[in-house]
Amino acid sequence: MTEHVPEFAPYTDDPLYAPFWAAAEAGRVALPACPDCGVFQWYPLPGRPCGHQGPLEWRDLPGTGTIFTFTRVERAFLPSGGEPPYTVVFVELDGAPGPRLVSVLVGDGSAAPAIGDRVRLSPTRTATHTLPTFALAGSPDTSAARTT
Amino acid sequence: MTAAASVAIVGIGETEFVRRSDHSVGELAVAAVRAAIADAGLTPGQVDGIVSVYGDPAPDDITSSIGMLRRFTGTAGYVPGAAALSAAVTAKLAIDAGLADYVVIYMAYGASRPGGPYTFHAKDPIKASYEMPFGFYGQPVYFAAWQQRYCHDYNVKPDELAGVSMAARKWAQLTPGAQETRPLTFEDYLASPMISTPLRKADCCLLTDGAAAYVMTSADRARDLPNAPVLLTGYGLASMDTTMHNIFTQKQDFLELGSRLSGPRAYASAGITPADVDVAMVYDCFSTSLVLQMEDLGLCPRGEGFAFANEGHTSPGGSLPVNTHGGHLAYAYLPGVVHIAEAVKQLRGVRAAAQVSGAEVALVSALGGNDHASLVLTKDR
Repeated sequence: MTEHVPEFAPYTDDPLYAPFWAAAEAGRVALPACPDCGVFQWYPLPGRPCGHQGPLEWRDLPGTGTIFTFTRVERAFLPSGGEPPYTVVFVELDGAPGPRLVSVLVGDGSAAPAIGDRVRLSPTRTATHTLPTFALAGSPDTSAARTT
Repeated sequence: MTAAASVAIVGIGETEFVRRSDHSVGELAVAAVRAAIADAGLTPGQVDGIVSVYGDPAPDDITSSIGMLRRFTGTAGYVPGAAALSAAVTAKLAIDAGLADYVVIYMAYGASRPGGPYTFHAKDPIKASYEMPFGFYGQPVYFAAWQQRYCHDYNVKPDELAGVSMAARKWAQLTPGAQETRPLTFEDYLASPMISTPLRKADCCLLTDGAAAYVMTSADRARDLPNAPVLLTGYGLASMDTTMHNIFTQKQDFLELGSRLSGPRAYASAGITPADVDVAMVYDCFSTSLVLQMEDLGLCPRGEGFAFANEGHTSPGGSLPVNTHGGHLAYAYLPGVVHIAEAVKQLRGVRAAAQVSGAEVALVSALGGNDHASLVLTKDR
């Protein structure tokens, strides 16, 4: 099966976005948290609803998690690079209660996952960036070979 | 029992609803505004207030085009889906305060133009950083992720979505000017192209070029005009503690909409309960959003909205007729404003084959991202 992964370069030109994509480039997934109370804030906002002030702290996460919801996209909507089909998943990441990371499910079984399935980080290299995609836990690791 | 109403809707105007209109959005807006003012039995020179929904086309372009001098100019200020309804509250405030005697509210849209309704999301840097690179883009994809979770939480099978779209088509077939009047059987539904699982094309609203407008004035002045007044007896506005960045992905209660707040506020201000609603027009950008709002608004039990539609309750002849023009799924996608126009027609009693007999109380409710607005419209008695 030909596996599609969107190829749409992220907007990174902002301190609220750059650390996420730097971590992704290094094969990791990181989310921002308040250094004072530890509450994760996703998406990052210019202020902190927890009431503390100062910059957020980006924390590396284990890269495992659970599918909260998903949809198999079968029609193209992106202005470019969005050839369907591909499966969007919302992942609740271990070690970061609260946020749901929007990502793409890749590898075996990615066309028909179920809510509650366990997943692990399995990045995809595109021409312009590394996308922190996920694979079903227990599926073969094909990340090293996967490029778009 | 309903509360005393200070204002009424006295005129409605709609253009034709098509894809790839030959007319500019400005021309469409002018045509709808002219039609609404004429329907009210007024001339442009008598109308002294205007409320725009998008600010585009600009109100000054419209008023200069038709010879109307503005005393009051307002904008709705809510996210577009809900704005055509919240605009009625803006107009009420202006009329109650004596800032204007007759206010026209308009919305014009060219959804079939390049980029469609998706492009304003692409301007959001958070979406451009954290959603678009993963292909999470386009309203059908957003609502599909909600629908998938809804199906999981309430044990609804994808095929069971069919009744909502089938009901919309049945109503559209009874409605002159509806954009999509081909019949939709259950088999037709299953053959409708999958867009983003579990949503099929039939679950998605139309793309429409067109415009619609309505005119409001005080209840007292309304009674001197040719049409039977339709009173604004209740209204509820609400916004959730989310941003337009995160509403589709990060809400703590994932399927919560502002209708959980705006509905009760509207009922309370009108002094009614959901059981008093004779006919409901509920924003249906997707079958998903229609059902979530119907459940929030107390029109059917939570988790049972699709079963309610499948059992025919919302269809012609059903116990609670919903979107009796075919809604945004089959009549036209002029968000919210065509729902107001349809409620007015039902309360005037002019809907012929689609007329709900004895309709005296209409609920109109619309979602605009994290904003929500609900109106109770009542026949003058």
